[in-house]
Amino acid sequence: MATITMPLAGVRGRQVLVVRFTAAERAAHWVHFVAFSVLLVTGMFIYLPWLHAFAGGAAGEASRLIHRGAAVLFIAAPLVYLVFSPREFLYSLKESFTWGADDVGWLKNAWGYYSQGKLGTMPPQGKYNSGQKLNALTQIISFGLFVITGLIMWFGKGSVPSNVFLASVIVHDLAVIATVLLFMLHLYLVVLHPMMRESITSMFEGTVTRAFAEEHHGKWYSERVLRKREEEFDPLSKK
Amino acid sequence: MSSIAMLVDTSKCTACRGCQIACKQWWDLAATRTKQTGSYENPRDLSPETWSRVTFNEYEAGGKLQWLFLNLGCMHCTQAACVDVCPTGALQHNDTGFVSLDREQCNGCGYCVEACPFRIPRLDVVNTLTGEAKASKCTLCQDRVTNGLTPACVKTCPPGALQFGDRTAMLSVARKRVDTLKAQGVAQARTYGETELGGLGRLYVLTAPPTAYGLPEAPEYPALVNLWHNLAQPLGYAGAGLMTAGLAVNWLLTRRARLSNVEEK
Ligand code: HEM
Repeated sequence: MATITMPLAGVRGRQVLVVRFTAAERAAHWVHFVAFSVLLVTGMFIYLPWLHAFAGGAAGEASRLIHRGAAVLFIAAPLVYLVFSPREFLYSLKESFTWGADDVGWLKNAWGYYSQGKLGTMPPQGKYNSGQKLNALTQIISFGLFVITGLIMWFGKGSVPSNVFLASVIVHDLAVIATVLLFMLHLYLVVLHPMMRESITSMFEGTVTRAFAEEHHGKWYSERVLRKREEEFDPLSKK
Repeated sequence: MSSIAMLVDTSKCTACRGCQIACKQWWDLAATRTKQTGSYENPRDLSPETWSRVTFNEYEAGGKLQWLFLNLGCMHCTQAACVDVCPTGALQHNDTGFVSLDREQCNGCGYCVEACPFRIPRLDVVNTLTGEAKASKCTLCQDRVTNGLTPACVKTCPPGALQFGDRTAMLSVARKRVDTLKAQGVAQARTYGETELGGLGRLYVLTAPPTAYGLPEAPEYPALVNLWHNLAQPLGYAGAGLMTAGLAVNWLLTRRARLSNVEEK
């Protein structure tokens, strides 16, 4: 009898690959990454007193202009995602807001897992693990705050009451702090952490090995990847 | 605290507006077209082309109508919120304490406009979309006073309502003048700016309560600027510091435990 864990999206070496991210998801992710990084750097020139050398005169005018350009990209990224991959967009959005006991267990054990590799203590995870969901959730909520406060500072300058403007700067800053802390963690895990090498490859190529999917995203693997294959699986087809 | 100051003796002001003109003349500021709106006050507000002006205020006390004139411009606060929020260092306290403005350094962010409790700085917005702009305000004639001259408005003032010099000297002139006015029956005569916001670089002799001139009775450093600098900035540093430390520890532990990718197991 044929097994349902047959090749799903090709092979890498002796490993079977499964699809993790659509092209639109990957495009949106990288546009968001670039826009966020540019906004962060140009914003820091204004935020950090010791970078004030870059904030003044022509350099400052340029960085404020670049901040505005990057803001447009920043707003465009999720729209690309929504338009070209609506099902995944809604699924991911729903996932980010769905929290349960497995997430509490995961977050509690995350330090032991990521520092000593204590296996077996981590509850099974969906397409996104609790840490990724926390990052996504913070990004999503902050996205709303960035857009609202950013547009107030951009177009409301001089017409909104001073306190509304000043409050916008503070909320903008708090959103920066929240997102940057999780961004640091996110970058560390995918770029530097030895257990997570595949995570970043998947954001370039769209696939992960089945072994990685089973270990890191067990719930997703069995509930979504496997089921989808089973639904499409027809032993009598000629393919 | 400012060691030099300008003194505005409103009891001597005749509202000739020579100060307004001298300011425009020295700084080469364009005249603006205005509309008669039922007051001699003109222009009705500060602008990128008007850094100092005389306000005309009607005030009724004891059944008598008074016409109060006030020379208005940057107050050169010791606790200057504009200096604190300026991200470029364009706004600074000069060694002598007044608030200078380097328009070359200004990037046009406009934070100073929103932070000023006296609503003094103005933003000349060239383009809202690109954000191109420049802030402007009275600098106490920074080029003149740092070269031993008096501000242009002081130099021109015919009745001697504007004076300039050492702040302590200006203060004693102001106090003496208040005593004289009181002796003449101006019961509400008082000084303004001695201690407000750490002491202002523009001192006043007033003949009525500050509010009658449109000045805040007790100007306050904006609470939100405080929050921004004492909450948002330290929180950012503390958060980033803790996160970096945590990640560094984690990194060392992963080395020790020789963790690896599942793929390689
Ligand atoms: C829709 C997105 C965004 C818009 C429209 C926006 C717009 C703005 C505007 C108008 C300003 C005021 C300065 C100026 O007038 O040039 C500003 C400041 C700033 N932005 Fe953004 N921004 C956005 C997203 C972001 C993001 C994602 C970050 C960082 C991750 C960021 C970081 C900052 C920082 C640090 C400041 C300086 C705040 C301060 O002075 O304390 N912005 N932004």
